Amino acid sequence: MLIQRISIALIAACVMNAPLGAASQLRLPNLRGELVDPLARPASAKAVVVVFLSVACPISNRYAPELRRLHDHFSPRGVVFRLVYPNPAESTEAIRRHLSEYGYRGLALKDPRHELVALVGATVTPEAAVYDANGRLVYRGRIDDLYVHIGLQRPKATSPDLERTLATVLAGGAVQPGTTPAVGCFIADFLR
Amino acid sequence: MAVATIAAPFAAALNALQPDAAAPTFARDIAPILFARCVTCHNPGGPAPFSLLTYADARQRATLIATAARNRFMPPWKASRSSGPFVGQHPLSEDEIDRIARWAAAGAPEGDRKHLPQTPRLAEGWQLGKPDLIVSPAEPYTLRADGTDVFRIFVIPLPTRGSRLVRGVEFRPGNPRVVHHANLRLDRTETSRRYDADDPEPGYDGLIAHSAAFPEGHFLGWTPGQVAPLLPKGLSWLLDEGTDLVVELHMRPSGKTEAVRPSIGFYFGDDLPERMPVMLRLGRQSIDIPPGEASYSITDSFVLPVEVEVLAVQPHSHQRARHVTGIATLPDGTTRRLIEIDDWDFRWQHVYRFVSPLTLPRDTTLSLRYTFDNSAGNPRNPILPPRRVVWGQRSADEMGDLWIQLLARSALDRATLVDRIRPKVLAEDVIGFERMIASEPDDVALRNDAAQVYLELGRPAEAVAHFAAAARLHPEAAPGHFNLGTALAVAGRTDEAVDQFRLALRLDPRYGRAYNNLGGILLQRGRADEALHHLREAVRLDRTNVQAHINLADAYAALGQFDLAVRAVEAALRLDPREPASSALRARLSAYRQRQPLTR
Repeated sequence: MLIQRISIALIAACVMNAPLGAASQLRLPNLRGELVDPLARPASAKAVVVVFLSVACPISNRYAPELRRLHDHFSPRGVVFRLVYPNPAESTEAIRRHLSEYGYRGLALKDPRHELVALVGATVTPEAAVYDANGRLVYRGRIDDLYVHIGLQRPKATSPDLERTLATVLAGGAVQPGTTPAVGCFIADFLR
Repeated sequence: MAVATIAAPFAAALNALQPDAAAPTFARDIAPILFARCVTCHNPGGPAPFSLLTYADARQRATLIATAARNRFMPPWKASRSSGPFVGQHPLSEDEIDRIARWAAAGAPEGDRKHLPQTPRLAEGWQLGKPDLIVSPAEPYTLRADGTDVFRIFVIPLPTRGSRLVRGVEFRPGNPRVVHHANLRLDRTETSRRYDADDPEPGYDGLIAHSAAFPEGHFLGWTPGQVAPLLPKGLSWLLDEGTDLVVELHMRPSGKTEAVRPSIGFYFGDDLPERMPVMLRLGRQSIDIPPGEASYSITDSFVLPVEVEVLAVQPHSHQRARHVTGIATLPDGTTRRLIEIDDWDFRWQHVYRFVSPLTLPRDTTLSLRYTFDNSAGNPRNPILPPRRVVWGQRSADEMGDLWIQLLARSALDRATLVDRIRPKVLAEDVIGFERMIASEPDDVALRNDAAQVYLELGRPAEAVAHFAAAARLHPEAAPGHFNLGTALAVAGRTDEAVDQFRLALRLDPRYGRAYNNLGGILLQRGRADEALHHLREAVRLDRTNVQAHINLADAYAALGQFDLAVRAVEAALRLDPREPASSALRARLSAYRQRQPLTR
């Protein structure tokens, strides 16, 4: 438990300075059990979005329509979506049902040992990360600022952080690597 | 935010690299809290999004539980521990919150299972027993996947025959995960039904009709995990045949489309009610919050004219309220807290029922204070940048009410209480009406409602102004002129009243009540022969109008036609033999039989 927490802190410190063009060394199972590099993408892709999700997290589930909207808007424009499930207690069957019930779009992967979690530095579901065309992590954090903290929501989001980041990346603008605080169900608990 | 939350358990774990024998364990320390406070909602099939009945459930959410408890997001009821105790309310103590945090920080250990208390048995089905009547909306409603809050109103005709005495109402959401709470009302008119029929989807989107109300003196409603108990003996209420049940659902989309179809159970009884509670509403409709004002307060109060028991309170506000305080100050200076909420959340509104009713002596002052935050720094502010906010029922507006359910000791005390409460509440209502009319000046129904209240308050000039506006908006409608004429008569402007009644009769020559009112005024002016013509028409067109028979009798008497006067009084008495009116009628009967005018 403690070791994991230390690893998260150290790796998160490294990841922002990853070398250009690197795909990852990670291999995560997809829903057919095949091992896949979560950050591999076609040469034409402009960005990779990783979203950490959980089948039974009400906060993450409420974001399903928004994630679908972002996928439908950005996927035709060269953004690749990866839906990553870090709760090892969630079976492949449960994840399939989850994707179908909530209408998620993107490639679903499992991260039972929190390897991508650690690389990104994610702590909750839902949490998003954006890698630009050069494989550089340019954003980690919330989808938007709808939630202030557990138990407190705004009537409407005022800061669409993920969307703004993607738009900037696509426009070819320089993105300062940034993070925002995310609110949701705690990923570290999933390994207890 | 998430980074900070990880840091706290991280720091604690650094100090203890091996399992801490003194750390709280699930079996011994956490399960008792969850079983007692949480699992009524957090169970499979319950209204909460996940269950917390087992160790496996809890340990996967240990940090989430600790955070929700620390924020006092859970348990969700906002009445602070300085008020109550209330039925079904078990806020966590600081010690319990701390214990949960230490358990999560220590890695959520299970502990020795022999310490685990018995898993509570959760009642299935109807909690109050088998209902006598179960109703549901005709069709399920499809709740959309996105959005934060959806309100929709469903109208269900109740198939009861005759009047029934109701001891309880239980609401089952059907889809407990997305139905957040329900407001229940009764409508004895067709208004709510028409609103529903006008909307092609199940239910309708809008406001609860004015005609849809609580049964007199009682609360109705549902909040998750809380079942309103059956009423104690002697407190049932009457449900009339032909009443519609109006169900306003507050739903929270889950991320996928959901089907929603609640069911409502009624429990009937045979014992007539011995007592009827009275609702007092404290609150202000003059709310007017400048943009950017972070701490705007309203206060209201009421002095009890009789001793009462306080059974329950229900605060109601929208999104910008922050603090609510209700206090009873007794004549000896001591105080009792009616309600205290430090962190108002409009999503978690509730009827707080006292475990033991609060007895308050006569001359106790009940007072209320609400504080609102309309600044940009309030993340709950629905309008940013902030704008001026006034009282109103729409979500962009604000309200600040406290409904207090009172029980008087006797019917006489109850009448005294009602006589004192009614003008106070109506005087606040007209402020609200003026506010609504200012934003919708052409709404005739609002004008009429406002005018009726002004008449009851003894403020006929203002009633005249609104009836006049309504008549200008619908000049072809006879009742509008009738209303205006009536208010003018009350205001002493009898010439203008007569004009309005004549106009109403030109528009509708069969308007019996207009003949009656016109005849009444003419009679008062000593023009009995002219009055007679109108009053005979009034009685002919509207045989059940008691007042018309009385006026007719007086007109005949004024003209010396005492036999006909007596017949008219007898007709009135047959129509309404009840006291206290019948005493006045008998006085007339006696006078007119002796061919004497009535001496007043």
